[in-house]
Amino acid sequence: NPGDYFQLPCVEWALASRTCDKLCSAEDCIPGTGVYLRHGYIYSSLAGYVLRKNEGEELPVISVVRETETQLLPDVGAIVTCKVTSINPRFAKVHILYVGSTPLKDRFRGTIRKEDVRATEKDKVETYKSFRPGDIVLAKVISLGDVQSNYLLTTAENELGVVVAHSEAGAQMVPISWCEMQCPLTHSKEFRKVARVQPEYLQA
Amino acid sequence: MINTGPIFQGKRFRAGPVAWVIYFNMPTDTKRVRGPEVSQSPSLFSCDPAAVLPSKGPRADGRRRDQVDVRPVFVRCGLVSQAKGSAYLEAGNTKLMCCVYGPRETDRKDETDMKCGRLTTDMRFAPFSCPERGSWIQGSQDKDFSLMLHESLQPAICLHKYPRSQIEVSVMVLENSGSVLAHAVTCASLALADAGIEMYDLVLGCSMRQDGTSYVVDPSYMEENGCSSGSCENQGGLTVAFLPSLNQISGLQSDGDMTEETLTAGVRTCIEGCYKLYPVIQRALTKAVCKAAPSQSES
Repeated sequence: NPGDYFQLPCVEWALASRTCDKLCSAEDCIPGTGVYLRHGYIYSSLAGYVLRKNEGEELPVISVVRETETQLLPDVGAIVTCKVTSINPRFAKVHILYVGSTPLKDRFRGTIRKEDVRATEKDKVETYKSFRPGDIVLAKVISLGDVQSNYLLTTAENELGVVVAHSEAGAQMVPISWCEMQCPLTHSKEFRKVARVQPEYLQA
Repeated sequence: MINTGPIFQGKRFRAGPVAWVIYFNMPTDTKRVRGPEVSQSPSLFSCDPAAVLPSKGPRADGRRRDQVDVRPVFVRCGLVSQAKGSAYLEAGNTKLMCCVYGPRETDRKDETDMKCGRLTTDMRFAPFSCPERGSWIQGSQDKDFSLMLHESLQPAICLHKYPRSQIEVSVMVLENSGSVLAHAVTCASLALADAGIEMYDLVLGCSMRQDGTSYVVDPSYMEENGCSSGSCENQGGLTVAFLPSLNQISGLQSDGDMTEETLTAGVRTCIEGCYKLYPVIQRALTKAVCKAAPSQSES
């Protein structure tokens, strides 16, 4: 019902649209997410709220969103948070838990190959010294993989790598350098490929 | 000729296990079909003839013949909390519910498709749904219905937006009171919309039963399975799955013996029945969307 509007700067909300509601013609708006284009008109493909945004281009972008987080699939180039499940001299297998900041309802599987762990000295990498099972890792998707393999991820950047890890004694470790973490209880150092997290995200 | 009769007839066989081994290793006679030792009259096993329904006059529940008179439908979305999307539909006494899971990683690696997602449909009848108690194991009728459901739903979903994933739709029929496939299609597309899966359009289903020269739309269980006392020609049923806004048919299932004109007229009748359902389904979907986010509508 286009009569009910809530005016915000640059954003207009209209009431719910149902699947295959004709929203507008293709000349008035640019199609965003949750809509499809057919015969010169834009139709919604979701049941949700219509969002019309003016993003600085001549035409507003129209999209349909559902308030429950839309199921995101890990896309190439997305930063994902994953948990290491098993390691191998050649690669590490992970479960992808979050895409960006939205949690996934179902776990997708990913692989971090030995040569994608670091940017430098790729052949001298030992996965045992970079990850351990149970570590939480920030990684980036480089490829959707093919039929046989899982998503391919990389940690070859300063901001990517292990974020949370537990030592063999069971305590959560504190990062010392880009390749070492220290356990606060036993003061033993363990090797990990540590991510450089921005200071504002670190909590005491 | 190996006569296994006397051994079989329960003479006490005291020789022990060795003798039984000899019995089982004896070559069986494959050229003759031996009947049972004890025979019973076949009339003990025959089922009652199906109730003969009159082909004229009003229908049992008061609806009219030869008119597009579908049963009023009660629909609710989001009843199952564990599933991504769900819907419950009641039409007369037919009750069914549908759950949608996905998109999730495909279970079997060799069936992963890189370009688009996969749709898996599963339709089950609860053992208490039909007048005769069934079993929990899927029979052949369930598999047939699952395939037809798959065929009807697949054109409507934007599978290319979900590469490497699978979407599972599972319908459970709680009470079968006629035209189950049609209502399953409607219920499944509602559950898919409730789950937030992108679709080109909702798929609605409608079925009819042709009985000689007259037809009934949205038949009940008795009308679907009863045989008519009248003519033998033009007997059959038809189920149509229809995309209303795009004006396309995605599934058509018919059985029986009908002429070409009857079939085309029947398809048009079912399409009209789908159009009658459309506003109800739309309203239910709007209610579900508004209920999920009341904050937006307040502002």
